[in-house]
Amino acid sequence: MNKRGITISVNGTEHPLQVDGSDRLIDVLRDQLSLKSVKEGCSTGDCGICAVLVDGKLANSCLMLAAQCDGRRVTTLEGLLEDPTMKQMQGRFIANNAAQCGFCTPAMLIASWDLARHSTDPSNEEIKLAISGILCRCTGYYQIIDSVREGCKGGMR
Amino acid sequence: MKFFNSETTLSSQTVVMSTMELYSPTDLNDALRFMERDGRNATVIASGTDLLPRMRRKQISPSVLIDISSFTEDLRYIRQSDGTIRLGALTTVSDLLESPLFHGRLSMIREAGMLFGAPQVRNVATIGGNICSASSSEDLIPVFMVLDAKLKIVSARGERSVPLKDFIIGKRETALKPSEMLAEVEFSPPGGHSWTAYEKLGRRNMLIIAIVNEALSLSLEDDLRTVRSARVALNRVSGKIPALAVRTNDFLEGRRVTVETIAQAQKVLASELSLTSDFRGSGTYRTEIAQVYLKRLLERCTRQIGGPS
Repeated sequence: MNKRGITISVNGTEHPLQVDGSDRLIDVLRDQLSLKSVKEGCSTGDCGICAVLVDGKLANSCLMLAAQCDGRRVTTLEGLLEDPTMKQMQGRFIANNAAQCGFCTPAMLIASWDLARHSTDPSNEEIKLAISGILCRCTGYYQIIDSVREGCKGGMR
Repeated sequence: MKFFNSETTLSSQTVVMSTMELYSPTDLNDALRFMERDGRNATVIASGTDLLPRMRRKQISPSVLIDISSFTEDLRYIRQSDGTIRLGALTTVSDLLESPLFHGRLSMIREAGMLFGAPQVRNVATIGGNICSASSSEDLIPVFMVLDAKLKIVSARGERSVPLKDFIIGKRETALKPSEMLAEVEFSPPGGHSWTAYEKLGRRNMLIIAIVNEALSLSLEDDLRTVRSARVALNRVSGKIPALAVRTNDFLEGRRVTVETIAQAQKVLASELSLTSDFRGSGTYRTEIAQVYLKRLLERCTRQIGGPS
């Protein structure tokens, strides 16, 4: 199988990569770049746990071929750790126990951060919509929704 | 390279040989030339949100994928001119939701978009991909069908236009020849006294494949009572094939929208559906829901004029 050379800007750094045609974005992020915040759940687009930002838009990294991201900009949770809005969001998730097993948390945080960019005072419906593509199977959504609302406001009750 | 490994594995070292090749053409013409030569063995991939899960589940195993996702300059646009709306095949569902065109009379398109997948799927999933996937799980097919959409199909040798209702010829079967690609969806928004509406039933609201989805485009005569034209389409009319409910549409035409008409139209619809059962729901259940939705859609489309008389 012939490898091909592509370049993806991941978290602000240009990464020249060698990929197979059938490598998905998630394979490259986890296996080549060791970005383990990107989790693999269902692998078929039903759980949203692998969500990242591609060119600033939320997308499932298991439903995209790496080669299709050549020349594009990908952001994972690792790239937002120093971002003030993300810090506030994480702080609210921790304060509200919004992560039980934590498996969906990176995707929840990315989607919440994406919402916080556009809205400082989202309604419950807007919050539910923003995280509607991400399944949580243990924490329950109430703590998460509370945390997102507070995180968008700046994290203070 | 775990993509084709159907067994669950936790080892990132697992290498499974794949026979799939990915061809990334430089531009649309390059892609069409490739398809002219090798289209028989090749499958077009746009965003991949439908194709990749099916490959993963080994429902299909294309030997060559042609990636057209980068042709956004040629194929991703929403244009309106001379009363016609043209959508490039790579228009995403989010593009539809962000467009100012799909409010009011065409609000059905927004309704369908909001119930399509989930935000991160809508951001990438394309209308061309949804149509070419040609199954009962595609949310946009009934919507474009009731608008009498025409499809622009291109190949290295030229282009042709095919009505969407003639494009879907079977379950996951389209009128596309191996050398051809869907380039554009075109329709004229209904004029005069017209309304559209959409209903979808799934086990949850997001990330769900429809048990039933149903769209209606209704135009009334100037008396605001008599049906000039009614177009109902469902994700399944016969078996798993999305289509217009032709007999129901014919029945409604020229009749006044009354409570009795709706009840009769529900019976006509039930008589023209031949639905199969699967794990999402039985044929009987689907037929029942289709009738409920027909009533609801007719009521919603006549709400502004006081509902059925």
